[in-house]
Amino acid sequence: MKKNVILTVLVFLLAATAVFAQGGKEADDGQFHIDGNVDFYVSSSSGGGSDIITRTITDIASKNGIVDAPFIVYNQPDGNGQISRRTVSTARNADSTLLCFSSGDLTAMIQNGGLTLDDFRPLVILAADKHLCFVNADGKYSSFEEIMQAVQNGQKINIGGTMSDERVVFNMLCEELGTKDSFTYITYGSASESIAALLGNHVDIAISKPAAANQYVVAGDIVPVLALSTTRFSTPFDTAPTLSELGYNDVEYPMWRGVIGAKNMSDEAVAFWADAFKKVSETEDWQKNYLERNLLVSQYMGPEEASAVMYEAQAAAQAQN
Amino acid sequence: METLSMLMEGFSVALSFQNILAALAGGILGLIVGAMPGIGSLAGCALLLPLTFHFNPTTAIIMLGSIYYANMFGGAFSAILINIPGDAPAIMTALDGFSMTKKGHPGKALFISNYSSFVGGLIGMVILVFLGPALASFGLNFGPSEMTMLMLVAMTSISWLVGDNPITGIIASCLGMMISTLGIDIVSGQIRYNFGSIWLLGGINFIPLVIGFIGMTQLFDLVKQDMSGEKLSYVDAKIRFRDTLLTKDELKRATRPSITAGLMGTFVGFLPGAGATAASFLAYAAEKKISNGKTLVPLGEGAIEGLAASESANNGAAAGAFGPLLALGIPGSGTTAVLLGGLMMWGLNPGPMLFTTNPDFAWGLIASLFISNILSLAISLGCIPWLQKIVRVPIGVMIPSILMICFIGAYSTSNSMFGVVIMLIGGFLGYIFGKCSLPTSPLLLAFVLSSTLEINLRRAFLTSNGNIAVFLKRPITDVFLVIFLIMVLVPVGRAIYKKVKENK
Repeated sequence: MKKNVILTVLVFLLAATAVFAQGGKEADDGQFHIDGNVDFYVSSSSGGGSDIITRTITDIASKNGIVDAPFIVYNQPDGNGQISRRTVSTARNADSTLLCFSSGDLTAMIQNGGLTLDDFRPLVILAADKHLCFVNADGKYSSFEEIMQAVQNGQKINIGGTMSDERVVFNMLCEELGTKDSFTYITYGSASESIAALLGNHVDIAISKPAAANQYVVAGDIVPVLALSTTRFSTPFDTAPTLSELGYNDVEYPMWRGVIGAKNMSDEAVAFWADAFKKVSETEDWQKNYLERNLLVSQYMGPEEASAVMYEAQAAAQAQN
Repeated sequence: METLSMLMEGFSVALSFQNILAALAGGILGLIVGAMPGIGSLAGCALLLPLTFHFNPTTAIIMLGSIYYANMFGGAFSAILINIPGDAPAIMTALDGFSMTKKGHPGKALFISNYSSFVGGLIGMVILVFLGPALASFGLNFGPSEMTMLMLVAMTSISWLVGDNPITGIIASCLGMMISTLGIDIVSGQIRYNFGSIWLLGGINFIPLVIGFIGMTQLFDLVKQDMSGEKLSYVDAKIRFRDTLLTKDELKRATRPSITAGLMGTFVGFLPGAGATAASFLAYAAEKKISNGKTLVPLGEGAIEGLAASESANNGAAAGAFGPLLALGIPGSGTTAVLLGGLMMWGLNPGPMLFTTNPDFAWGLIASLFISNILSLAISLGCIPWLQKIVRVPIGVMIPSILMICFIGAYSTSNSMFGVVIMLIGGFLGYIFGKCSLPTSPLLLAFVLSSTLEINLRRAFLTSNGNIAVFLKRPITDVFLVIFLIMVLVPVGRAIYKKVKENK
């Protein structure tokens, strides 16, 4: 009797593993759909920017019935994010394993070494952001021309920013201006830390994205002096000129946020996810609760476009490494 | 007076039935999670954050505030009862707290810790209400060079922990500094000492290391005692509730250190990036100087003053950290960074505009901190009779349960087995340390402080183009430099003086 029970359980378990082991498959109606759970990896801890976008995406996708399968979000910051990237690139259930990916993650991935975009399938880019240079309202300098003037007089300028995308855009800026020896880059752990350093006059310039600086600009504590973009930003950042207005070539390193999948993801799955995320990006929820709140521009890009942008950013990051 | 009326309005928001209920629920949960060894306030807040998503924003934030605050209370429990600090600031609490437990006074130690936490928190909140924005702006003056000097002063507290043999203490401190250099260097982006493993790219996480070094080592000791059949004297001591109440003298001895440490802790909490750990180390070091020789037992051997200083400073800093968070949008510690994430999920952007654009919310949050301080005190005092029985749990039940909680705590720091591996290695090293009579606390302190010290030292040299005068030309660094020199040179001078006198 006991033997029978054990046998039954064993058979049941075997059957269950067989069913759940398949990530996605083509159903009888020829339409792709997901079996089991979707593993969504985030390479930083909960509460950060990547975590918030992932939770928003999965929330909207489930609430509006865009994806039926339940999402499980894993925050795995180990090894500077490299562990979760490796996990996703070699995932067994390739069709239902996703990774939240930004240009900051890409810079870190190249710095760490060992993985490149060739180990993934780029899926979509959902939002984009660019950088500005800010100065303290009560600081030594009030415009970018004054700073360049000071550089010509042999002054050293300290610039604060984070370790990832802001460092890349800083290097591009130095190359364009030829100020590698006059500009010193001071790395901070987050945008709020580098702005705090600017508020205390510990650096001359802080490079930041608009969302982190918005409140301080509105309060009049810091002033945007340079837009690292081809066009000016909207208010309250519209007072900052672009480099081409000052007689140089424009420099920009757009910070995008998107999603990538495992290397072995099938073409059907790529199409399915591209379509699902497109639907997410078209919801009002997304526009209102994510883009507007974080001062971002909606910028949906499908797999081909996203892949082109990501590879271009990878080339820029590799050139500096 | 405007401040007071705003605060009163905040209380009227926070004191609605629903909000009190939320604060109570948050307080109980926060205490439980904070009391688990290895989970501590940072992981505790991160774990409980999703719970608040089901309420309206004000209620959710009030609950969040009380979770945060109760976590700070709970962090001391495991340090006092089983010598496993839940988070970094509790290392100092464990020194005197567990010594008191060993002497048969776990209830008293818990009582003092609750009392001092309450006093420290209260001081912090009152300062937050009246001087919050002003102090937060003053904190901005702390740049790389000021932070470097502050960390140097904090590091002098290591010398109290070194004990009789300075050589072993220095070896342990240096090992701690070496471990802190593993992983990506944040200043240059260089990879350091990863030995080809991608797991080591992000460096070593502090929490699993502490659980290993202190928690696992404590477990090994318990196992050893169990196998030798030796009875722990403090386990069988009869515990009566009235023994846990403090005498008038004891209360007096806890009050003065609580107040000085509370003030210091609050101030350190206001500095961006300093946090509760540095606060409790500094206050403990200061208490050692202030109460020099006047305590009944030396600090570190179960002195009420030491326990009070550490707990009060840590809670003062917890309240102070809200200053830069609310007024500037800058999180002062890992835990406030989690809170910031929670606030932003609700569409609230802490920063210079918060008090203008969302005054009801900002003051409601501050008022709820007062309420959670009182609630946490009431709940934890009520728990003492049950909590102190934990030390009497049979060893056969105690060891597996602590072990399990250690594993969960280590795993939850990054949701992977990496933390567990670090914990096991830490436990093994801790055991070896014990066998070689190397002290472990200097290693942990050096590990925590030296990474902040290193980053700020290098930033200071970068901004000044390598000119060492950056540490002399600024008023705040000068003050710290003088304090540092006094801390370091006075004992040396005294020793030389004594030697000279003896030789005569």
